[in-house]
Order: sequence, then C-alpha cells, then structure tokens
Amino acid sequence: MKVKLWGTRGSIPSPGPETIRYGGNTSCVGVTLSDGSLLALDAGTGIRCLGLALGEEPTRLHILLTHLHLDHIQGLVFFAPAFRPQTEIVIWGPASPEASLRDRIARYISAPLSPVEVRELPCDVSFRHCPQAEWEIGSARIRAASVAHRGPTLGYRIDDGDSSLAYIPDHEPALGADLDLLDEDWISGFELARDASLLIHDGQYADAEYPRHVGWGHSALSHSLAFARRTGAERTVLFHHDPMHSDEFLDRLGGEASRRWQELGGEPGAVGLAEERAEFELPARAREAVAPA
Amino acid sequence: MTQRPLELILARNLMSALSTPAFLVDEGGVLVFYNEAAGMMLGKRFEELGTVGADEWGQLFGPFDESGEPIPYDDLPLVAAVREGRPAHAEFEIHSTDGASHEVEVSAFPILTAHGSQGAIAVFWPTRMNGDGAGPA
Repeated sequence: MKVKLWGTRGSIPSPGPETIRYGGNTSCVGVTLSDGSLLALDAGTGIRCLGLALGEEPTRLHILLTHLHLDHIQGLVFFAPAFRPQTEIVIWGPASPEASLRDRIARYISAPLSPVEVRELPCDVSFRHCPQAEWEIGSARIRAASVAHRGPTLGYRIDDGDSSLAYIPDHEPALGADLDLLDEDWISGFELARDASLLIHDGQYADAEYPRHVGWGHSALSHSLAFARRTGAERTVLFHHDPMHSDEFLDRLGGEASRRWQELGGEPGAVGLAEERAEFELPARAREAVAPA
Repeated sequence: MTQRPLELILARNLMSALSTPAFLVDEGGVLVFYNEAAGMMLGKRFEELGTVGADEWGQLFGPFDESGEPIPYDDLPLVAAVREGRPAHAEFEIHSTDGASHEVEVSAFPILTAHGSQGAIAVFWPTRMNGDGAGPA
C-alpha cells in the first residue's frame, strides 16, 4: 500500500511562502492499494494535484470522505478526472437522517457556489453511504466508524494484506475525557487505529492553543500523542495543520512532538508532522509464527 | 473489547461533567457508567463497582416502590427508554451502600442514532433522603 499526502492543512487553504514546506492545500491523501486500486481520502484542495498526477488515462477511483466540511470537499469541482467521461468515481461518506450524501454534496456542487451541477459532471459518479460493517475495495478491507468531531464524521481504517492505514484527520477524542484514564473501548476511534501500521491523525493545535478551541473538534498535541500511544500505532503522522501555523511554527511543534513521544517511551522517528507530497510505503508485515499447541 | 458507539462515548463524557446524578445503559440495558454525583448518592463510585447487569443492580440499590417492594426491572424508566425508544419518567426509592434511602424522580430518554437505539440515559433528581447516610452534597 502506497500513501501520498496531497493536502495536509485544515480549515482553509493557506498557500504562501510561510507554508511552502508543510503545504497549504486542505485534506487529501492518495492511496494505491497492492492490487493497483486507487483511493482518495477526502477531497480538500489537495485532490486537484492528485487529479493532475493521474494523467489522462481512464481511471476508476474511490473517494472516501470523512465528513462534508468545506476543507474536505472543496477540491471536488477542480478534480480533473471528474470532467472526463471515461472516469468512474465512487464517493463514500457518512449517512445523515437529513439528506442523502449526493444531495448534501450537491449543495456545494451547484449554483451559486459552483459553475457546474453534480448531474453535469461528465464522469460516471455514484454516491454511497458507508456501511456499518467492513467492506472491500480492491485488495483492501475498509472500515468506517463515527468519531468525535463537529457533525457526522467518520474515521477510516484500510487493511491491505498485513498493512493497515488509519485515517482520522478531524478528531477530538479528549473532549470531556482523559485519554490516559479511559478504558480503550471508551476512546473515540480506538478500534480504527489499534496497532495500525500508519496513523494519520488530527494534530491541529499546540497544547497552549487548545483551551481557546475546546469543542471545535480537533486535538491538542498531548491528545494526539496520548491517542497514538494508547492505540499502539507503529507510526503516527500529525495532520490537519492549523492555517495559522507557519513552517517555522510547525518545525518547533514537530520537534516538541518528537521529544515528548520519546519521553513517553516511544520509538524515535515514529511520530512526525505531515508534509504535503510526503510518501509512505507500507509493506506487508511478516505474520508472527504461531507456536504449536 | 468491542468499541463503544460514539454516541455512548459522548454521553459518558457529558455526564462526567454534570453535577446531577446520571446513569448510562447500553443497547442491552446493561449499566455501563454513572457519574460522580450518582456515585455520591449510591455511596459507591462507578470505578469501584464497574459494569453491572440488572440483577446485581437490583440487589445492591433497588429501586423500591413507596411500600418498599422491589420494582420489576421491566418497569424501570431506563428499560422503557431502551426497549421502546421513548422517554419515561418515574418516582421511586433507592438504597445506598451506607444504609440511607433516597426518594428520587427519574427521567430517562433513549439514545437513538441512524443505526437504531444505542442505549439510554437516566437523570436522577433526589427529592428526599431518609436515614443516616451521607447522601448527596
């Protein structure tokens, strides 16, 4: 499984010389499964560049949306493959009692916010509510579960062979809770991230910023580290950077994250900050031999 | 351990911050949490008691009707909320571990989600304490 970060920013695109290394595009992660199937996790402005990288070839792609806040869907109408009839796109997302996934996305892809309507997209696009049970896409088993954020929001787990990717970009698991004290079954998102090869997790705020943002649906650094430690993820990438955070700020935050992770007993280099265009290859791990009875 | 539904997790987090005694049951009617205020009323913190089923709960705390008879499990507001997916209200008496009895009004409401009922919350309003127990602050 290959993973590439096309957009690492939260809330609003923040391009400029001060964000050039960590990136200014909003949430989008490209995943190539071991059988070649393509996934995009969220469709923030980063998906525009993912679309350009796919080229002109006929494409079948699954887009897995965590939720419908603008920083996770804004790139949909700028995703070049969506404007080619030979493209097939399946968009997955959270169900809502209020309206279908298609109708909720159409509020954005429609006048006056968009020059095109969903029905005008030349590609073959379909919309599916994520099931409660695990399902398969290509060589992967996909699991979606509700996580603590504002409004109906999912996190995803993708298991491909023995590798696993957990993607929980918008998450406030410590809202009203102490992650160090709770039993694991009472921690939002725990099962998605348990022992994941790679955890991509909300890391929007420094600890000093969090008191002014309690209930906004995002994590402070301490929360992200506690969640990573409790779930046993092998590697954690802190994602969804606050638009106010410059490269210089994030360098300091990343240094603090690394230091505190090691103080918690973690492996050096196992926690880092998401950088736009960073790539990860998750090899199939060797299964542990089972001792005879 | 199976992951709890998010709605139960959020309910527990909210209840933890309340000073009103509050109880949480899962979709099977098993008591999975009560808050500190409830613990003060019962004389036992949740962390000491842990998850309990209806039988054990009844033996420990009741509830009892006005004549002192145990109220059947099926008649409790929490059970009605979970099984029937509707709010329910009742008045009864419970016993705490320190020997005191508390007359309470109880309001229960179901936790309904897109995937059906995930459990219920009951809020206890103590109206009178009898006996020598420490009771609620």
